[in-house]
Amino acid sequence: MFAPVSSGFLSRRSVPVLLLLALVAILSTSAWAQPKDNSSKRLEAIRSEMEKGQSLYVAGNYVGAAEVFETGYTTYPYSAFLFNAGVCYQKQNDVDHALAKFKEYVKVDPNAPDVDKVNQRIATLEAAKATAMAAAAAAAAAAAAATPVGDAGVDADAGPVVVPPPPPPPPIILPSGDDQNAMKSLVVIETEPDGAPLRIYQRTDANAARFALGAPANPGWKEVVATRAPANLTLDVGHYHVVVEKFRDFNASEADMAVSPGHVHQLKANLSQGQFMAFLRVSSNVIGAHIWIDDKKKEHPLWGDTPHGELVPGGKHDVLVEAPGFEPFLSSVELEHGEQKELEVRMVRVNYGVLRIDASAPEVKVRIDEQPKGVWRSGEEPLDVRFDSGKHKVTIESDGRKTYEGTIVVPRGQILPLHVKMIPKYPRGPAWTQAIIGAAFLGAAIYVGSESNKLYDQLKEDRANGSLEGSDSRATRGKWFAVGADAGFVVAGVLGGLATYNFIKDPLPESSVKAGKLLEFEDPLKARPVARLQPRTRPLQDVAVVEHGPRFEFTPNASSTGGGLFFGGKF
Amino acid sequence: MRASLLVLGGLALASSACSWTRFDDVTADSPIVLFEKPGAMKSGFGVTLATATNDGTTEVLVGGATNVSGAALYDIGNDDSPGTTSIDTGYCSGSSQDCYLSSRIAGFAKAQGPDQVRPLCFAVGTGTADKSGLVVRCKDTAEYALEMPEVAQKLLAVTFAQNQPYDHPMATDRTDDPVLLASLPEKRIAWFYPSRSLEFSALGLPDDADADDPSFGQSLAVLAVDGGRVLAVAVPGKSRVFLWKTDDDGNSAYVGCLGDVDGLGRALASGRVNGDDADDLVVSDNVNVHVIDGAALFDLPGTDSRECSLSSLPRGALLNSFGCGSTSSLSGCEQSEFGAALAVGDLDGDGDGEVVVGAPKMTVRDEENAGALLIYDADLADEESFVDSKFISSAENGDELGRAIVTPHIGNRDIIAAGAPGGGKAALFYCSSLLAPGAAGSRCP
Repeated sequence: MFAPVSSGFLSRRSVPVLLLLALVAILSTSAWAQPKDNSSKRLEAIRSEMEKGQSLYVAGNYVGAAEVFETGYTTYPYSAFLFNAGVCYQKQNDVDHALAKFKEYVKVDPNAPDVDKVNQRIATLEAAKATAMAAAAAAAAAAAAATPVGDAGVDADAGPVVVPPPPPPPPIILPSGDDQNAMKSLVVIETEPDGAPLRIYQRTDANAARFALGAPANPGWKEVVATRAPANLTLDVGHYHVVVEKFRDFNASEADMAVSPGHVHQLKANLSQGQFMAFLRVSSNVIGAHIWIDDKKKEHPLWGDTPHGELVPGGKHDVLVEAPGFEPFLSSVELEHGEQKELEVRMVRVNYGVLRIDASAPEVKVRIDEQPKGVWRSGEEPLDVRFDSGKHKVTIESDGRKTYEGTIVVPRGQILPLHVKMIPKYPRGPAWTQAIIGAAFLGAAIYVGSESNKLYDQLKEDRANGSLEGSDSRATRGKWFAVGADAGFVVAGVLGGLATYNFIKDPLPESSVKAGKLLEFEDPLKARPVARLQPRTRPLQDVAVVEHGPRFEFTPNASSTGGGLFFGGKF
Repeated sequence: MRASLLVLGGLALASSACSWTRFDDVTADSPIVLFEKPGAMKSGFGVTLATATNDGTTEVLVGGATNVSGAALYDIGNDDSPGTTSIDTGYCSGSSQDCYLSSRIAGFAKAQGPDQVRPLCFAVGTGTADKSGLVVRCKDTAEYALEMPEVAQKLLAVTFAQNQPYDHPMATDRTDDPVLLASLPEKRIAWFYPSRSLEFSALGLPDDADADDPSFGQSLAVLAVDGGRVLAVAVPGKSRVFLWKTDDDGNSAYVGCLGDVDGLGRALASGRVNGDDADDLVVSDNVNVHVIDGAALFDLPGTDSRECSLSSLPRGALLNSFGCGSTSSLSGCEQSEFGAALAVGDLDGDGDGEVVVGAPKMTVRDEENAGALLIYDADLADEESFVDSKFISSAENGDELGRAIVTPHIGNRDIIAAGAPGGGKAALFYCSSLLAPGAAGSRCP
């Protein structure tokens, strides 16, 4: 990936800045370094500590900030932590600790570009401390002189005299002026290969012209560091210009760098190419989406997973971003040498989803929008049914169990697990028995009723022609037939009502669906993406369970005074 | 659900439509009323009938088996609310004295007793009352006996001695002072008792009259006509009907014989058929029933001729003849014994009588031998004379309705009382299709 050193590069060394722009990686963006790079991880951890301390400092929590910096130094012994801790102690008027940290700073990093300033700060603090101590001594003496010698500690009239304690030393008034920019930052400068000589210039005049490499003089710029890469530097807030001088066969290069307070900055120069690489960072609304660079057919290993940034050669690149359940994203990116670009990809979910169905039945048949979609059997993996996203009528049937019918919202680009609770059908044996017996009674009642009517007609006719005898046995027979018919109708009616009730009665709940938590599509690359989208807070509410048709119920009721059937319905 | 509601609605509708109380309504005040058979009746019920009406009271006497059983009296009043329970079962029954019920019994509106005239009496058979003879019992339970011809008295003594009874059929007319006609088939003799008389008068036949048959006198009739009576004695075994006429003083004369038709005289009845003031004679043969003008018979002169034929009747004396008729409910005329019993009654109250013919072997609604009553209006042409029929709606096989018929008088009309001895039934038939709607009380439409 390193381009050959341009022969024209040195000829353009007089051209200010741009051609030698080094990459400044500001580690405040966490994914800057390659994940597999231990050095990057270490820098990330340092950055975390540094920024944490900086945040506490800015918030005025100097005690907490001091602790963080102290801890950071213990773990990562960079002098910037010491200085920053000293500033925090100074903010607390803790002169002794402040002095200790500043002195240790000078001790561990005697070549620090600001060592003179720090020594001056030490002197100032010691002077302030001395002044304060003298004032305290004077105050103590004055207090002692004010105490009566003869009556020391005793009042003849009031008993023993209490000797007042010596007055506290006056507070040490430390020089003020430390603001949030007082924090120093850690700057890591690397070269490929190591060992390249470095010169770092600090802009001392805000109105200074851009640093010009090779110029006889650069007014407003001051060289503060001369060392070799890799270098870990503790720098004040400000603008700097880093110059990598010609090293062995490698070309020189340069870059501007803005140091912000309490941060960790990394600068890396690929000297072999003779030009600085560009930095491309690809982020997405989907964390873990796979990125391919200049590999549309995905014939090579993926470049990284979002968010991912890496040095890439300048020029035009094809960026392919894919995530299961999302539409592929393909875009071309044009990068200048040394340019840092972030590509924010807004991925859109595919317009289909998957229903993952299992059930509490040995076998269920699944239909969506009345189309058969498969059979799931107990012991098998859940049945995955891919379907267009949106509302669909889902019907799940199983022998001997209540059919489930409902409206399901198929998600976009996700898997909706459906656990179908198939409720056994309520047995209708008693209802059928009652219906059959009722029908038999009805038939018998109709028959005997018809016979009764026939006999009545005969009797009526006989009466009309004067042949009817009062004790005609047909009258008795017809009467009993009528009674039997009426009884039969009543029994048939009761049994019919009971049968109807028992046909309608169903104490068992309907088959139901419990929608599980939405799942992402399986990632064949084993890196399951996690959507950064707002999680569904009401997944179940998207599963509309529709009950079909009105229901009627008979409710038997009995009391000491009678009984009956109540009839009610749900619509 | 809608289907269930329809079913329930249908059930409710059907249930409400099938009321059993309508049977009580339809049988209340039924057109036919059955008499209750008393427990004292030894055997049979409805074998023979007689009726008598006096002073607005009509009674019916229902007899059992001839010579075996007794008879029971029922008061049917003067409207359509009859008493169906016997008011007196002492007719040839319940007494320690001998009494043998006749196959034909006779009722009197008034009867001359030994000491006084008594209302509503019935001659029921032979036996012993105040003496031996024909036993008459009245509503007031008074009993007396009418002396019979000597040969009959002697035979009665034998009967008492050997307990071997002989039938003594009887007949009377429906006047207030009726004539009683009686016979003793065993001895081929007949006699009568004039009005208000306890003395009998023998009826003599011409010499060599062909009357020697056990059927002699089995059926009798007394026709009340202006100036006297016509007495008819049938010998169906000889297909003959012998006729006499009597005057109010009890003098009698033989006036002729009807014959030459098979079975003629199987049954006789009298009544006002043609609307004049004289009773007419109704006589059945094996097939038909004939109505003969009573006045014409009374006008016949006395004769010694032994000739017997219908053709010898005066012109116009044969008012009508009719045969068996059937309806949708009645069938089996051929073996129906059409004409086994006859009666004449003014069923529609129009002043002239209708002929009621018993057909005891008639099939009623598939009930063989249930029996029926066929009613004819003799004033109409032959084809139209069959105007009505009666049967018991609860007819059973073997009832044999129509073995005995009388026409009790209530109000201003007659009704029919008929016996069905096969079923042990006797019934009153209150309604007739001849009645005007609403004119027959609550029992009729």
